[in-house]
Amino acid sequence: MRLSPLSVPYRVVEKGASVVFTAAFLLFSGAASFTGGIVGPLVVAGLLGAFLLALVGYEVAYYRRYEYELTADSLDIRSGVLSRRNREIPLRRIQNVDIERNVVQRVLGIAAVSLETAGGSETEAVIRFVPFAEAKRLQREISRLKRGVSAEDADEGGPPAEELFALSPRELALVGLLSFDLRIPGALFFLASGSVPVVSSFVEFGSQLALVAVGGVAFLLAVALVSWFVGAAVAVANYYDFRLTRTSDELQYERGLLRRYDGSIPLDKLQTLAIEDNPLKRRFDYATLAIETAGYGPGQGGEYGSQAAVPLARRGRVVRLANALEPFGEPSFERPPKRVRRRYAVRYLIVLGVATGAFYAIDAALGAGFPWYLVAVALPLVPVAAHYKWKHRGYWLGENHLVTRNGFWRRETKIVPYYRIQTVIDARTLFQRRWRVATVTADTAGSLSLGDKDAAAVDVDEALADELRAELERRLHAALARKRRGGFAFGNVESVEK
Amino acid sequence: MNRLHPRIRVLWALRAVLTAAILGGASWLGSRFAVDAPRWIPAAVFAVALLAGVALALLRYRLWGYEVREDSLYLERGVFTRVRTVVPFVRIQHVDSARGPVERLVGLASTVVYTAGSRGADVKIPGLTPEGSDELQERLKRLAIRAEGDDAV
Repeated sequence: MRLSPLSVPYRVVEKGASVVFTAAFLLFSGAASFTGGIVGPLVVAGLLGAFLLALVGYEVAYYRRYEYELTADSLDIRSGVLSRRNREIPLRRIQNVDIERNVVQRVLGIAAVSLETAGGSETEAVIRFVPFAEAKRLQREISRLKRGVSAEDADEGGPPAEELFALSPRELALVGLLSFDLRIPGALFFLASGSVPVVSSFVEFGSQLALVAVGGVAFLLAVALVSWFVGAAVAVANYYDFRLTRTSDELQYERGLLRRYDGSIPLDKLQTLAIEDNPLKRRFDYATLAIETAGYGPGQGGEYGSQAAVPLARRGRVVRLANALEPFGEPSFERPPKRVRRRYAVRYLIVLGVATGAFYAIDAALGAGFPWYLVAVALPLVPVAAHYKWKHRGYWLGENHLVTRNGFWRRETKIVPYYRIQTVIDARTLFQRRWRVATVTADTAGSLSLGDKDAAAVDVDEALADELRAELERRLHAALARKRRGGFAFGNVESVEK
Repeated sequence: MNRLHPRIRVLWALRAVLTAAILGGASWLGSRFAVDAPRWIPAAVFAVALLAGVALALLRYRLWGYEVREDSLYLERGVFTRVRTVVPFVRIQHVDSARGPVERLVGLASTVVYTAGSRGADVKIPGLTPEGSDELQERLKRLAIRAEGDDAV
């Protein structure tokens, strides 16, 4: 198979545009006049023409020498103009087939296909560009061949793609409303930091303070507004028409307004699910879902986190979707022992004490008469905060899943199938030992970034932790044994029972 | 519960000496060129760091233990944070036997067990004799293969 012929002009324009712009700039900005008379522009135009011819020639050759072929067990790509490269990518190693197309590509009806394999964070191969229909065919065929279903079966009996989730316009609007682009304030502050002394040198000393205060507030407001608008625009463009469908062993997602993404996640690579919310989302009954896969996570290389995650939806829908992917049921969480609340209270008291001390020290050093004791006003909040931290923490052993929940401001509920557990880690810090509690972590092969935490039952009673450790190991073995006997596979109960 | 080889204490104590020397040297440089501190400070820093380091090394040795159980490898370690790790044999990706330069000097070796997990991904058992390490590696490898065979789909 070959690339789309339209890929030649597209690639020429893509690569040539910057060079042509630079040349045009040189030509018209008068830089050429240094070389004198008409010769300069002529030379530039000549060079440009030669460059364009070479580029067109190269791209035509690239097109003519690019061939790919989908065989029964591999995808073979032969490419390269000067140095040839023949690649055979075994189909079972391919994890994701992602299709991406921007506005121009959508007008032309072409798409880039990225193939991701396990191991290595880089994309294994990108086919640029094929007709969109061909891209979809590749995605479908690779998934079909991996399953080992014959073409006829897939045509008739294959399970139809079932739509699991679609983002409603209302939810999309909310996602936009709640998105801030944090890079904007950073950039603006960086730019503005240079202009402050310049501005202040123009005003008289007396009015300076008030002016700076007013200007500062106005500036902050403007920054907040701009970053909000940009964030909203980016989020809406990113998640426009988001939908998640499931075929028998794959999840497929589609999203994007200008740049459209179309990807697949094999269900057998699915490790854990995470439902996230915060007090605001809880108040209005919304939540976020993240899907963690082994090895390469879809969208990991991208700038917006896990692409397969549901950015925001009604809590009930999120829980239903999570249950459709991993039928874990209705968790009833086991909270840490009540004495742990005192531990949290002590912790907050120490923080408060340190903060008060710091303010006092600053005040004493500057002699500004700053009411440093104001910090201590937060004192009555300490037991409340400790209670809520305790309240939102817990774990639950389901029939096939471990579910843990942690955090008040950013509450995260993690759902881990027992057969996905890699190691069980029981850690007890010096302070935890004083309170006779432990943290039991179920490590999985998930691949979220470093800041994310594994599913952990935090601050469970010591004796219970010993039991939990053994229990998790036992349930892992039991789950693996059940899977071996051909029971449920990959959390996909219904499709097996059919 | 298996203990580590007693000689690991020598290795960890050596490491403590090195850390103490670096700290002492840094404070000597500081007292010499930056702040006006009493002469005995660097020596005191060295002595305290050494004592603490050696005590930690001894404690760590006493608290370290591992056990090859029926279905899993179990480890217990840590002075400040006690960590108990369960590594089911099914989850073992591969097992290494490693000998660092200092380890070779004192005639010891370690066995490193790799899993696909995201944080407990490599579990290291230090303080084994070279034969012991090879033997453990071989044994874990066999157990992992057996477990894998049991669980082949």
